[in-house]
Amino acid sequence: MGKKMSKDELEALKQQTLSDFAKYVNPQKTRVLKNAGLSIIEGKREGASVWDITGEKYIDCITSAGSFNVGRRNPEVVDVLRKALDEYDLGVFLLCSKPKADLAKKLSEITPGDLQYTMYGSGGGEANDFAIKLARGFTLKTEIVSTVKAYHGHTGFSLAAIGRDEYKKPFFPMVPGFSQVEYNDIKAMEEAITEDTAAVMIEPVQGEGGIYPATDEYMKGLRKLCDDTETLLIFDEIQTGFGRTGKMFCCEHSGVVPDIMTVAKSMGGALYPISATIYKEELNDFVMTHAFTHLSTFGGSDLGCIVGLAVIDFLIKNKIPEHAAKMGDRFQKGFDELLKKYPELFIEVRRKGLMMGLQYTNDSIGPRMSYQLAQNGVMAIYTGNEPSVMRLMPTLTIQPDEVDFVVEALDKSMAEIMKQGGIEEY
Amino acid sequence: MATSDEIMEALQDFTDQCNNNKRLRRMQRDWTKVLHYVAVDTKDTFLMDVVEGEIIKTSAGTEGTPDIIVEADSETMCDMFWGDINPTQKYLKGEIKVKGTQEDVMRIDAITAVIWPDV
Repeated sequence: MGKKMSKDELEALKQQTLSDFAKYVNPQKTRVLKNAGLSIIEGKREGASVWDITGEKYIDCITSAGSFNVGRRNPEVVDVLRKALDEYDLGVFLLCSKPKADLAKKLSEITPGDLQYTMYGSGGGEANDFAIKLARGFTLKTEIVSTVKAYHGHTGFSLAAIGRDEYKKPFFPMVPGFSQVEYNDIKAMEEAITEDTAAVMIEPVQGEGGIYPATDEYMKGLRKLCDDTETLLIFDEIQTGFGRTGKMFCCEHSGVVPDIMTVAKSMGGALYPISATIYKEELNDFVMTHAFTHLSTFGGSDLGCIVGLAVIDFLIKNKIPEHAAKMGDRFQKGFDELLKKYPELFIEVRRKGLMMGLQYTNDSIGPRMSYQLAQNGVMAIYTGNEPSVMRLMPTLTIQPDEVDFVVEALDKSMAEIMKQGGIEEY
Repeated sequence: MATSDEIMEALQDFTDQCNNNKRLRRMQRDWTKVLHYVAVDTKDTFLMDVVEGEIIKTSAGTEGTPDIIVEADSETMCDMFWGDINPTQKYLKGEIKVKGTQEDVMRIDAITAVIWPDV
């Protein structure tokens, strides 16, 4: 932020920033965040925490839905990016480059099974867009089946695959050929697949949908179903990838390998946007005959790829997925106590590693808990497709004392909600 | 406590403000909802019927199946319709209860923001 400012100056800067944001970016967002106690202007960022520019500290459990797996401003990754800036820029997207090749090779090595090729993008929606395009282009079929309450992004094809009308309705008509079926229901998927189905697309844990992990049975059932019907299987690991669920990729828990996997968010270390659509060798036959049909100016930039490699290196060297599993277990102990203490309010935990959803009794509790947690030094929000669920997705580098702090904040917040009432189911 | 007549007066003023606000009518033209309001202390109930952004009916008492139910004490309800309070802040503190989708809760807040931007 430059020269040291007094508390009053910082408060004035904050208010000016909020005013400018309202005037030039999004007034209603500004208002809603102010109401929710989340009109935080991020200043210092470190580890699992962020500080408002006026000094208040928060444990970040929003992390842009899993973009900060390596921590806020991870010093190692920052250092790599700084050095890279001495030599690199984006690079011309059309050309081959060493960073692009190196990262694609690394992704092929660390993703399960025989996923080999990478098409780069700059964001998750773009990665999912290409996954869908690839499925249609390779199979020459048009239908895509995703799931109710799915979340795949807000761009073109990805938006059509989202399983909630509120995101789509204002922009109807959507791209045709998309349908959604119940998640974790193999029979429903079986009934939805036709001779014209190009691909089935799921998140191994539904994020926005309320943190619902796919059962191993469902994952294996999808693989078999897709094999039997010559349908491609797409796993959207944009939120679940890079250690979030306790393994590098969530599909490793079930041992199921998709035909196409999409990743984004944490791959960029939350320093440089990058995404990837990773797919099997056979599917590259389509790209062979359409080598320049899908383009992305900012996708797979040299700087983004260099950061991606540093992120993967950090995750592996420091055994971050394993640490995430351990911290998730520590959270679970705290949740178990809270479940016993507030049974009329807090009815279930759904969790895989550090992808955690706290199920409350009604839709108003999510926003109210966001407000209370902000008062108690924790940033957290409810899931967009299921407001009765609070999503907790801290950085994977969170430490035990920070886990305990979050659990204590949850306790205080729940106690306040209990006092307020309005917790009955409806 | 606010009486049913006092709340109806405030509700009617709110209705006039909404229906006479061209910008709001344009913003809300994709919104059709039945809202029931319940004053939890007096048990008085009120209806607001919105069709494509126009409030076509308000009344004491309710009918039909609501899309949204708003519950608050009678004073708070009156203050809300007069624009004397920020209803979302009250909602987040549990003083106003809304049974409805979060999109509708945010929509109601947006209405308030347009009519009373300083609240």
